[in-house]
Amino acid sequence: MKILKLSSRGAMALVLAASLTIPAWSQTTSSAYAIKGGKVFTLAGPAIENGTVIIRDGKIAAVGANIAIPSDAQVIDATGLEVYPGMFDPITQIGLNEVSAVNATVDVSELGDYNPELVAATAVNPASAHIPVTRANGITSVIAVPGSTSLDLQSGGLIAGQASAFNLAGWTMDEMQINRSVAMVINWPSIQTATFDFASFSVKEKPYADVKKEYDKSVNTLSDWLDRARHYAQAKEKGSPTLYERDLKLEALVPVVERKLPVLVIADQERDIRNAVEFCTKQNLKMILGSGAEAWKVKDLLKDKKIPLVLAPTNRLPEQEDTPYDKPYTEPSELFAAGIPFAFSSFGTAFSRRLPQYAGTAVAYGLPHDEALKAVMLNAAQIFGLADQLGSLEPGKLANIIVTNGDPLELQTQVRYLFIKGQLTSTDNKHRDLYEQYRKRPQPAH
Amino acid sequence: MKLRERRRLVPPVLLAVCAVTLIGLVCTARGEGGEPRYFAVKNARIVPVSGPVIENGTVVIAKGLIQVVGTDVAIPPEAWVIDGKGLTVYPGLIDAGTNLGLAQDDDASKKRGAGPAASGPEDRPATTPWRVAADELKTDDKRIESWRNAGFTTALTVPDGGIFPGQAAVIDLAGERPGDYVVRPRASVPLSFKPVGGFFGFPDSLMGTIAYVRQVLDDTVWYAQAEPIYQANPTKTERLPYDRTEFILSRALQNNELVLLPANNSIQIVRGLRLASEWKIRAVLYGGQQGYEVAAALAASKIPVLVNLKWPERAKDSDPEAEQTLRELRFRDRAPGTPAALAKAGVKFALSSGGIAEPKDIFKSVKRATDAGLTQDAALRAMTLDAADILGLGDRLGSIAPGKIANLVVTDGDIFNEKTKVKHVFVDGRWFVVHEETPPEKPGEKKPADDDGAAAARSNHVAGVGR
Repeated sequence: MKILKLSSRGAMALVLAASLTIPAWSQTTSSAYAIKGGKVFTLAGPAIENGTVIIRDGKIAAVGANIAIPSDAQVIDATGLEVYPGMFDPITQIGLNEVSAVNATVDVSELGDYNPELVAATAVNPASAHIPVTRANGITSVIAVPGSTSLDLQSGGLIAGQASAFNLAGWTMDEMQINRSVAMVINWPSIQTATFDFASFSVKEKPYADVKKEYDKSVNTLSDWLDRARHYAQAKEKGSPTLYERDLKLEALVPVVERKLPVLVIADQERDIRNAVEFCTKQNLKMILGSGAEAWKVKDLLKDKKIPLVLAPTNRLPEQEDTPYDKPYTEPSELFAAGIPFAFSSFGTAFSRRLPQYAGTAVAYGLPHDEALKAVMLNAAQIFGLADQLGSLEPGKLANIIVTNGDPLELQTQVRYLFIKGQLTSTDNKHRDLYEQYRKRPQPAH
Repeated sequence: MKLRERRRLVPPVLLAVCAVTLIGLVCTARGEGGEPRYFAVKNARIVPVSGPVIENGTVVIAKGLIQVVGTDVAIPPEAWVIDGKGLTVYPGLIDAGTNLGLAQDDDASKKRGAGPAASGPEDRPATTPWRVAADELKTDDKRIESWRNAGFTTALTVPDGGIFPGQAAVIDLAGERPGDYVVRPRASVPLSFKPVGGFFGFPDSLMGTIAYVRQVLDDTVWYAQAEPIYQANPTKTERLPYDRTEFILSRALQNNELVLLPANNSIQIVRGLRLASEWKIRAVLYGGQQGYEVAAALAASKIPVLVNLKWPERAKDSDPEAEQTLRELRFRDRAPGTPAALAKAGVKFALSSGGIAEPKDIFKSVKRATDAGLTQDAALRAMTLDAADILGLGDRLGSIAPGKIANLVVTDGDIFNEKTKVKHVFVDGRWFVVHEETPPEKPGEKKPADDDGAAAARSNHVAGVGR
């Protein structure tokens, strides 16, 4: 009971302590597993008591109540445990940002305002210490989003680059990658009169007219880029190669204007969201809204235009001084009631591991529990067009599976087994190392 | 007198040039020549503020002072008599906080405020108490005349920029030379708690700024004690290091100068009261716009307030769609109720134009205060006698009584009625006739004293000057 005495740090310690029971990185050569005896939440139907999941060659082979276990399968006894799809955190900087304060470890954004040719996957560091920490908390795949930081969404330029989806296990990006390019990231230019003045180190108000002018200029430039991309696509398709020069930026935008690649537009304030939706509608782009702190003010619009949302963490301050204190907590249930598809996300790196708690908070404030589970497991996969591979326990999908001792949205729940691409994966991580290190510190003599 | 003699020798041609080139103030002084400096306004309604209203009264001005006021008054034969029938005479209004006559160069004051990055209180960041407003007075500030034409005769003009920006002066709004304007050259020491250090300098926080002020005041007190000890025993005591700030401030505090503490919202006001008692200074709070929330505490402290009439409002160039917080809306709604709340609680207060650019907007602001419950009598008192009392000049300014400085405003009606027009203004017994805005130089409109053409040189508001 020593652990419980840690009280204030107890929550973390419990999670860490839990991982002590997990076997180290499996060295088995077998590619077949059978998880049996647990309660299986497929997210594709009702939960299956005493269900079995068969994994083969990295994929889910079968799910059900009475399924024969193949003879070559390594059997995982999940009696008394619960089986879920691994969680999916769709807006992170995992692999792009190791220690924010150390510049050399930060590769989130590039200089310049228009960088559509950048692909996050090329920069992701597979050896990031954040990856094992995150997966130990049940998150099996993420999207690394360039140009987004949790502090200042404007910092990465207007067109920040392409977001890449990958699994949180592997030695190389090729091994980890799910899809190199799942969305073109646009940091919507917000009309902000309050700007930070570094000379006086304080917030200064700029005249609205000036700020509006800057904003109009940004939007016009954005519009220009898309028009040029359309022209480029046309020339490339029909014109002779001698008549156009290859332009990687425009080439990267072609799938965007052809609606093959969605735009992930980061916007928070009501006006910004409205403007972004209007722009994307006019430009005929497939839009995903990111962050959306004031999405609750534009529910009808989002519903009407069928725009899904990747929601900023619920554990945040309300947007305006007079916004109800619990609006970030109740927003998810409002969005659900309005019929807007949404997923939770951490918008972070070190705190990607909090993803289930962000959803748990929303459950406490009215979001149905099964919807919250979908919003951390299935919805993001659907929003980013990856639902054929991720998000539920169905045959044919990637075997990203977590086996827990309870509700994964609860802080104290422990991940007992973790599969990524069908591989039983270690939950060893930096947090546990540190826990062990300090647990073994010399004790004062009594 | 030398000046005046010299000017008599100026040939008329040069005077005409002077008139045309708008060197107004040099020319206006000429009227102060040989004629007697006696004036009388008779048959007027007189509002002395210090006593009941006198109907059909007469006020006599002699050599810059009010000689006598009443109903049965002998008018000296040398006096220029103004028939006050239908007119009302008030004491000249006092603007208890402005920068009239001081350079309005924002960049310059910012620079003064910033200075080179300081690393601690010993570098005396943004501290220039030796900047005396009275010595920097620019009498060509156009606002001086527009303030005067609106009925203001006196102002506390306050330098800005920095934590100790300088020393404020009480000025009258007319004179021949800048020095003539000055009623009290070192009237008060204004303070600002705005951190000036930026990212790299001290102090860059409110906490540091207040600690710094505390340090400077402590150093000053020490200096004030050490200086006489050293002077009495120069051979037995180590020489006192000279510090310009301590040297100047110790004299200012020994002279009992007011210390103006910034305090606009209720938290700042309560803080100001605490600092005032801690620092043992003659404190006056300025700003005071959220005084409605802490009127009782202000009353108990007996510390007066210079209420800024530039009521909070939404910035004109602000984002039209930006969310308005309840806090801001409430403050904007209630701030004009502050003077009424202070009057009710018994707090002594004066009104200051703060950053208001046009005198007509000052009266609009006063109207908002009276609409919010301040009686017009109380408003007038706050703009005359109470302001004078707070500034320590109640013995010579602020009311119509024998012996007081002849600062008067003569109107054709209630001074707070927006239709009322100011007809005459007396500043230190100098007479200004205020005309309505009509095109200048209409033939036949010239006053006898203006036949040298000087009147054409002045703005179209004013004809007769400085008799």
